[in-house]
Amino acid sequence: MSDLTQESTNSSPIISISDMSKWYGTFKVLTDINLDVKLGERLVICGPSGSGKSTLIRCLNRLEAHQKGSIMIDGVELHDRMKDVDKLRTEIGMVFQSFNLFPHLTVLENLTAAPMWVRGESESEAKKTAMFYLERVKIPEQADKYPRQLSGGQQQRVAIARSLCMNPKVMLFDEPTSALDPEMVSEVLEVMTDLAETGMTMLCVTHEMGFARKVADRVIFMDEGKIIEENEPNEFFTNPQSERTKLFLSQILQH
Amino acid sequence: MKKSIKKHISLLSVTAIISLFVSLSASAGESLDRIMSNNLLKVATSASWAPQSFINDDNVMDGFDVNVAQEIAKRLGVDIEFVTPDWAVITAGRWNGRWDMSVGSMTPTGDRAKVLSFPAIYYYTPAVLVVHNDSKAQSAADLNDKKLGAGSSSTFELYLQHDLTIDAVGAPAFTYDITPASILSLPTSQAVMDDLRLGDGVRVDGLVDALPAVNGAIESGYPFRVIGEPLFYEPLAIAVDKGDAELDAKIASIVAEMKAEGVLSELSKKWYGIDYTATQ
Amino acid sequence: MYADTVIADKLVHKPHFIIGLLVAAGALFFLFNITDSFLGHVLSPVIGDPASSGLYGRFVVAFMAALLLVINIVIIGFFPRKLQILAVWMELLLLALTLGIVFNLDLAFIKSKLWFMITQGVFTTLYVSAISIVIASILAIIGAVAKLSDNGFAFAIASFYTSLFRGLPLLMQVYIIYLGLPQLGYVVDAIPAGIAALSLCYGAYMTEIFRAGIESVSRGQWEGSRAMGFKFGLTMRKIILPQAIPLIIPPTGNQFIAMLKDSSLVSVIGVWELMFLSRTLGVKTFQHIEMLMTGALIYWILTIILEAIQSRIEAHYRKQRS
Repeated sequence: MSDLTQESTNSSPIISISDMSKWYGTFKVLTDINLDVKLGERLVICGPSGSGKSTLIRCLNRLEAHQKGSIMIDGVELHDRMKDVDKLRTEIGMVFQSFNLFPHLTVLENLTAAPMWVRGESESEAKKTAMFYLERVKIPEQADKYPRQLSGGQQQRVAIARSLCMNPKVMLFDEPTSALDPEMVSEVLEVMTDLAETGMTMLCVTHEMGFARKVADRVIFMDEGKIIEENEPNEFFTNPQSERTKLFLSQILQH
Repeated sequence: MKKSIKKHISLLSVTAIISLFVSLSASAGESLDRIMSNNLLKVATSASWAPQSFINDDNVMDGFDVNVAQEIAKRLGVDIEFVTPDWAVITAGRWNGRWDMSVGSMTPTGDRAKVLSFPAIYYYTPAVLVVHNDSKAQSAADLNDKKLGAGSSSTFELYLQHDLTIDAVGAPAFTYDITPASILSLPTSQAVMDDLRLGDGVRVDGLVDALPAVNGAIESGYPFRVIGEPLFYEPLAIAVDKGDAELDAKIASIVAEMKAEGVLSELSKKWYGIDYTATQ
Repeated sequence: MYADTVIADKLVHKPHFIIGLLVAAGALFFLFNITDSFLGHVLSPVIGDPASSGLYGRFVVAFMAALLLVINIVIIGFFPRKLQILAVWMELLLLALTLGIVFNLDLAFIKSKLWFMITQGVFTTLYVSAISIVIASILAIIGAVAKLSDNGFAFAIASFYTSLFRGLPLLMQVYIIYLGLPQLGYVVDAIPAGIAALSLCYGAYMTEIFRAGIESVSRGQWEGSRAMGFKFGLTMRKIILPQAIPLIIPPTGNQFIAMLKDSSLVSVIGVWELMFLSRTLGVKTFQHIEMLMTGALIYWILTIILEAIQSRIEAHYRKQRS
């Protein structure tokens, strides 16, 4: 992992979005998005609900389709006739708000599924990787349990480990702590912070401003489908430029 | 006789379905060749028509028709197997080799002759008028303008409707001796008997059915009485699929042989107590 | 159902219900004239010879019958729920059996045929139904996936199939397959034809069950596996179907119970299953009522057994899901 950090500084962006727009029917959810992400960069995307932030990162592994502009991931353009979308998806990890673990498989099977079924790894090899990442998210002892036997925080850590097993170049987090009970938020954020320290490229949609301050290289504020403001975290929180950002920050920091 | 009836599906719907498809008939000699090469005669007959054909106490097929079929197989020198499809399925014809022959006391009516071939008549049954024991009727004339029952599309119903034609050689002529006010037509003649059993005039005042069947019912305790002489004699034939003249000829000669040797008479006496192989 | 925390007065103990029932039952018994019954004879010290007791006797017997009924209901009303269910079941069963006795059945004859009805009839009914439900399930999976797919051909074929086979009476399908196929040159025997008809018909109905089962697996499962690079087929096989099947099995069990009875339709093409034997075994001796009642009882007992198994299966999957 660490070698990725070093090459990140002067390489071309791993994600490059230009003039991208998306509609649901006639409703425009994303408007003229321009964003470059370099390898090893850590972005936090925030904004009020309905601002299009989740839609934006779901476009990046083409769970959603965009209609205008372009998205390039690691030199591959996403479009509706692309042949190798599955290969691309194996290189982008995605963590969902609702975990989306497979309830009929054990924790270990959840982790070995993709390496074995998609990459054709041997069972022993896949298990070794799986146990390595379960150690990383600090729940190796839960390997043989089923997801429903775990707490929400533990499930989300399994989901993170599951994505890491495919050794992705980018990790996308779609509100990973929003569905959790408050006392479980910190254990998930801790794992994400550890992950950031390994140099993983991360795009996180979250309202956890403490995490953003500590981990992010850049914070992006979105509203009504547009990127309103983009800055490094210290500047973003202490000196927001637009009125909307100020209003949003005052609302979420009040509590 | 052996009504079209039997089961709940009318012959009409079956023939309607069949008419959707093209007909393929057997070519000359094909059926006989199949029987001889398989060493097996497949006979279609009813399983619910005692004493002609039924499942006996040992749970195998038995009865007059069954014995006749077994005798034919013996004389052909082949084994025999019975299949028991719906009566309407048998009379609809176009068997496509599913079975080779029907020994089912089938009346060779004009309509059936369009789809089946009747190589041999093997006996005749008298059709009789039957009333409940409590009835005061003494002759057919007493039942004029009453409600009489018969199995649907059976020759008995056709007789009551004054619409019966039997175009078979040797069948005696008959007259329409009775004109009912209305006809109770039920899917099986059994159901008609059960209705008459309820009492004189409860659901029906009398019925027309085959004498063997009526005798069977009376033996089983049905309170019935036969009135007067038989209304008509019905020739009953062996049926095969159309188109194999060799098989037709073979069956005709075997049945003639059985008649001449008195085997048919014996079987008739065994099952009916009377020799039905000739009209009186 | 939803049980309230407050206990309401029992309906069967409310005066207006008791009086109303007494009047209604009394009127009904009076109308049907049950004077010449067992009860009438018991009451003969009061009303004299039941046959000549006239309207007075008819009224007394009807009133007494209604009174007994109401007392019985009121007493059962005091029982705890489980005992209540048992008592009502027993009484209804007794009533049904009494009706059976009225038919004056020949038990010795039934006994002589029972074993054959089970070894030949029940066995055939069960194996025809079992094979059919397996084939129907396979058809239903294919049909359901086709109906959910974006492929126009697959959807068109699947929806045509379900529309056609749900649109025709099963009996007609049996005939069409048995009589129609030979016209096209394929002569099928009665049992394969029957199995084909049952499978195709139930496959069409079960397509909807399977479709609903597949659709009830949350969207997140699709996204989760697609996001990991699983292709459609792999997602379906490894992720969606294993989760859909626990939802599909209980209604499939119900279909099997229904099929057990619908399989009686193949008796028209001469398959010696339970219905066929019920109709034919009593013919020789005019004891068809005996055989029909025996067949009916066997079907009922089979259904009770299968429903018991079914409810255990349902409980099993309910437990697994929670």
